[in-house]
Amino acid sequence: MKSVYRVFAFLIAAGVALQAAAMAYAVFGLVKWIDEGGTLDKAAITAAREGATPIGGEVGFSTHGTVGMMVMPAIVLLFLIFSFFAKVPGGIKWALIVFGVTIVQVALGLFAHDIAGLGWLHGVNALILFGVAVSAALRVRTDSSVDERVPATAYR
Amino acid sequence: MRLTDATRNRLRVALPIVLTVGLLAPMAYAWQASLVPDSYAATAMGSVDFGGGPVPPGQGHTGAGGPHAPAAGTISVDDLRDKSTRAADVRIDLVARQQELDLGGGHSVAGYSLNGTSPGPTITAVQGQLVEVRARNESVAAGIALHWHGLDVPNAMDGVAGVTQDGIGVGESFTYRFVADDVGTYWYHSHQLSDVQVAGGLFGALVVLPRRKIAETTDVIAVEHTYGGVRTLNGRAEDLHVDADPGERVRVRVVNTDNGSIQAWANIPFALLAIDGTEVNAPAPVGDQSVAVTGGARADLGVTMPADGSPVRVQVSRGAAVVLGAGNPPVPPQPPRILDPLSYGQPAGLGFDPAEADRRFVYTVGRRPGFVRGKPGLWWSINSRLYPFVPMYMVSEGDVVVMTITNRSGEAHPMHLHGHHAVVLARNGVAATGSPWWFDTLNVLDDETYEVAFVADNPGIWMDHCHNLTHAAQGMVAHLMYAGVTTPYALGGRAGNAPE
Repeated sequence: MKSVYRVFAFLIAAGVALQAAAMAYAVFGLVKWIDEGGTLDKAAITAAREGATPIGGEVGFSTHGTVGMMVMPAIVLLFLIFSFFAKVPGGIKWALIVFGVTIVQVALGLFAHDIAGLGWLHGVNALILFGVAVSAALRVRTDSSVDERVPATAYR
Repeated sequence: MRLTDATRNRLRVALPIVLTVGLLAPMAYAWQASLVPDSYAATAMGSVDFGGGPVPPGQGHTGAGGPHAPAAGTISVDDLRDKSTRAADVRIDLVARQQELDLGGGHSVAGYSLNGTSPGPTITAVQGQLVEVRARNESVAAGIALHWHGLDVPNAMDGVAGVTQDGIGVGESFTYRFVADDVGTYWYHSHQLSDVQVAGGLFGALVVLPRRKIAETTDVIAVEHTYGGVRTLNGRAEDLHVDADPGERVRVRVVNTDNGSIQAWANIPFALLAIDGTEVNAPAPVGDQSVAVTGGARADLGVTMPADGSPVRVQVSRGAAVVLGAGNPPVPPQPPRILDPLSYGQPAGLGFDPAEADRRFVYTVGRRPGFVRGKPGLWWSINSRLYPFVPMYMVSEGDVVVMTITNRSGEAHPMHLHGHHAVVLARNGVAATGSPWWFDTLNVLDDETYEVAFVADNPGIWMDHCHNLTHAAQGMVAHLMYAGVTTPYALGGRAGNAPE
């Protein structure tokens, strides 16, 4: 269970990296597409459908949306549940921190549609999420050097 | 108090389980509650809202999932039709197929056609004529249904699968018959799996001309659609060239069949002659503004050809244009300002008094996490609740209805009420001062509130939904229902009815 905890924590950090990469690709793809004559308006965005390549960088935008709204929340929820069973010292606490930072991140992503300025915080909070996920993962590694079932005296 | 080791061990096992159940149980409940039966009546959807008006006899219960007891004097949507035996003035057969569409310019996409093309043929009628359309489904596997967007047709002809008819299966046909009383630019489109079928091309334009000729001598239809990412006018991925003589008046009927808004503008001043089919009263030419045409909406633009014979370019979004006259003028830059119909044109009578409203409804769009049809996500809410727990706006025939539409969802929505023309009274508390702004599809931006009014003069069960059809498919659908009207059709069921 400990290794599951660690794998999920690293998975969350990897997810953050994927999200950043997806947005970088999306923006460059979009700018290039517009440069080549593409028209970006609401009709173009809403016509973006699976299987078609309606606007430049679309794969990046849709990946970011799906991973951010569905995949990451699901992984983080599972991570929190695993933490109840994993018996990692401080594991539940760190899982709750990851959970909380994720909720903030999703909320920022949503409300930034309303107040675009929140996008700045969305980007910064992503790095915080990456940091706390790695920290949670490292809880397992530092702990595993000392097997809690073996009395400390055995190491003398 | 110290716990014994046994108790502590038991706790150690139990606590994670309790926490897990505590976390998952509310989600499981919400998931379970969001499931809809395989077959259910539109009339049983959500909770009845009388808008502060009197409760009609036989309607004094909420419809939250329970069967409606038929009230005395009920009428089926099937009976809400033109029952005259007079011969049709305009008759057309439409055959729907699933096929590859050639958009020109080397573009081709898989989609749907009517009589072999997309858009299908333009149906033109003169006001008062009886239109008869026989729709036959040759090969659209999921079935079709044709909705006459913006026309106030009798309810049985509204073409909403699962509400006013069963979807037309492969090999089947359905005859639509209605009197075209509303002058203006309209369109027709499938209302069975409309998100997929409209995107794929199952639509066409419908124009109702006044009995007296219009002032413009050149009348152009410009149906805008984005097929698989390719922007087109009248199904072609190229400019639409139309002959026009110097000094001639031209009407360009822009129809936005996409889900999202587009802007239209021209390289010379133009007037916004009509919104959603209805003529604007005393429209003045504008030179530094563009017109927003939201998903499903129409705008008639009027230009007078320059006397020196130079051509005119009407942009229907940045990616498509109507070029009038000879030549190919450069694309004019998009004006930064958007024309505001709230103060455009001159006031005129509405024909009814909204201050005497019999019912006042609230339609507030939001967005919240939850489950729709068992699927987790962040969904559009109506009055804070998710599909199918949406309001059922209940009216009686003759009611004057005022509806306050508010958008708190973070995204714009083109709101479309079937079977009625509504008029804008105010936006964000600012009263309309221009020409009466009649609409059937209203773009409500994020954080905007519109107060609109209409007369309930067309009995039936009418969808009142977002015409970003993807949003409709995600549950942004409510209904306007007249007391005593029932439907023999069901959503889901054997016909596989799915209007969204």
